[in-house]
Amino acid sequence: MKKNGLKGSGWLFASPYLFYALVFFLIPLVWSFYLALTDWNLISPVYNFIGLDNFIEAVKHPGVQAAFFVTFKFMAAFVPMVIVSSLTVALVINSLPRFKGLFLIGFFLPYLASGVVSSLIVKGLLSYNSPLNTFLRGTFGLDIDWLNSPLSALLVVAGIIAWKFTGYYALILTAGFASISKEVYEAAAIDGVTPSQQFFRITLPLLYPALFTTLILSIGVSFGIFTEVYQLTGGGPNYATNTWQMEIFKQAFTNLNAGYASAVAIIASIVTFVAILLIRKLLEVWGRRNGWV
Amino acid sequence: MVGSNKGLTGRYIIAFALLTVMVFPYLYMVLSSFADWSQVDKQIIPTKFTLRSYEWLFLGGEAAMPRPWLRAFFNSLIVSAGSTALMMITGAMVAYALAKMNFKGRDFINNAVLFQMFFPAIILLIPTFLIVQNVGMYDTYMAMILPKALSLWAVFMYTNFFRAIPDTFIEAAKLDGGSNFQILIRIVLPMSKSITTVIFLFLFMERWTELLWDMIVVRSDEMLTLNVLLSQMFGPYGGYPGPLYAASVVLTIPIIILFLFFSKQFKEGMQFTLK
Repeated sequence: MKKNGLKGSGWLFASPYLFYALVFFLIPLVWSFYLALTDWNLISPVYNFIGLDNFIEAVKHPGVQAAFFVTFKFMAAFVPMVIVSSLTVALVINSLPRFKGLFLIGFFLPYLASGVVSSLIVKGLLSYNSPLNTFLRGTFGLDIDWLNSPLSALLVVAGIIAWKFTGYYALILTAGFASISKEVYEAAAIDGVTPSQQFFRITLPLLYPALFTTLILSIGVSFGIFTEVYQLTGGGPNYATNTWQMEIFKQAFTNLNAGYASAVAIIASIVTFVAILLIRKLLEVWGRRNGWV
Repeated sequence: MVGSNKGLTGRYIIAFALLTVMVFPYLYMVLSSFADWSQVDKQIIPTKFTLRSYEWLFLGGEAAMPRPWLRAFFNSLIVSAGSTALMMITGAMVAYALAKMNFKGRDFINNAVLFQMFFPAIILLIPTFLIVQNVGMYDTYMAMILPKALSLWAVFMYTNFFRAIPDTFIEAAKLDGGSNFQILIRIVLPMSKSITTVIFLFLFMERWTELLWDMIVVRSDEMLTLNVLLSQMFGPYGGYPGPLYAASVVLTIPIIILFLFFSKQFKEGMQFTLK
């Protein structure tokens, strides 16, 4: 057997990654910890080391506290929304004998939308004179200021993102359905299982691996919301939609507090990392306890 | 079994109704971009149509300066194409090393890629911006392309796919005297067309709709991408939603056409990734 090429060629092929990991990961990582200990304002050549003051200030700041809670509130709204809608779409597609692929492609289209565009459309649909609001005012006397009340603003943003991801997750779930063998259902039918029993006792457990994937993905999405919030609410009203990304962007590039914003980014990263790890573990334990994994 | 004809028709009606609801925002966007300005955002389905929104967009209107929309479109094209091409090339190269080459440190690099994939990237935003600024790339195409010249996800996807290609193909090519570069380009990549389509579509789409990064590394009007320009026009064009819908159409339609064009390969490729 001939050896795999020259000695150094593995490293040569991997070199783009090594360069990238150094310049766009390791250096920024170290730099961000350094910045977080200073009061630098992004412009002035002078700055001071202030120890952990940025971190102390950050945990007391209402914007940071809001970001912490908003992420979980957002998750509580978005994850059920997107799971229910993608499961519905997957069930409907799965019930079709033909043209499954065509429908999957159609449902996938929202995933291609820019957050800026979907925000614009939603802004139009929810504007004061929009057909929806005219109807609500005329028929029920309801005058809802969708983006200016805390709960509805959060739900609107969650809805936009659920719309975007539904088709993508439905694709994953449809593949999950395809892996369940027909014989299981046939055996169940012989035992006289009702449709709801069939769904909760057979389909759902066997779908668990695909469902697990979509859950993990959607939880990850919850920690990275920026565009829709930036476009529609700016984090308001009164921090009700203030995500980590929004807070860091505001502090770093609007208020120019680069040092302070780095501290917030470090806190955000730690919270994100720990939360995702914990939720993942919980889901695994939950699945194992039910005998799904 | 509910296999009757009536049940079937019902299922297709439900599926079609659901699909209509899901793509409704797109229909609303297209209709509003052609709607008479008195009807934009006031009627779900406009009855009077005009091209005024598109005229305004490209030629300028009475209230706002003509904005560089065409220029922004080409900026988006350059940035997305450049960045995506680099991400595909670097992704395939690194993945080939990780999947098909034996060298000391391979497992280490593989683990580093996985670790970095799950690392919250928000921590890198400010210092990466400072790096770009310090090397003099601020407000250039390079600022938007270089930091996004490698995708960990692409490396991950290609690595998984390449691992499934039998080593015998590569060993046979080696015996014929092929170099690793030749094997990657002539044998491995042609066998990976469907996964390449999936990776390309996801990367291009993500790059095309990026907001945060393209917004902070660019200042001048001539350098804005279409997505950023549209985002910045929310305020100034606020009273003129028609042209904003027209700009949204210009931003959205190319990506949809691209996706539909490759949809067959996309379906095949997704089947692999979802296994």
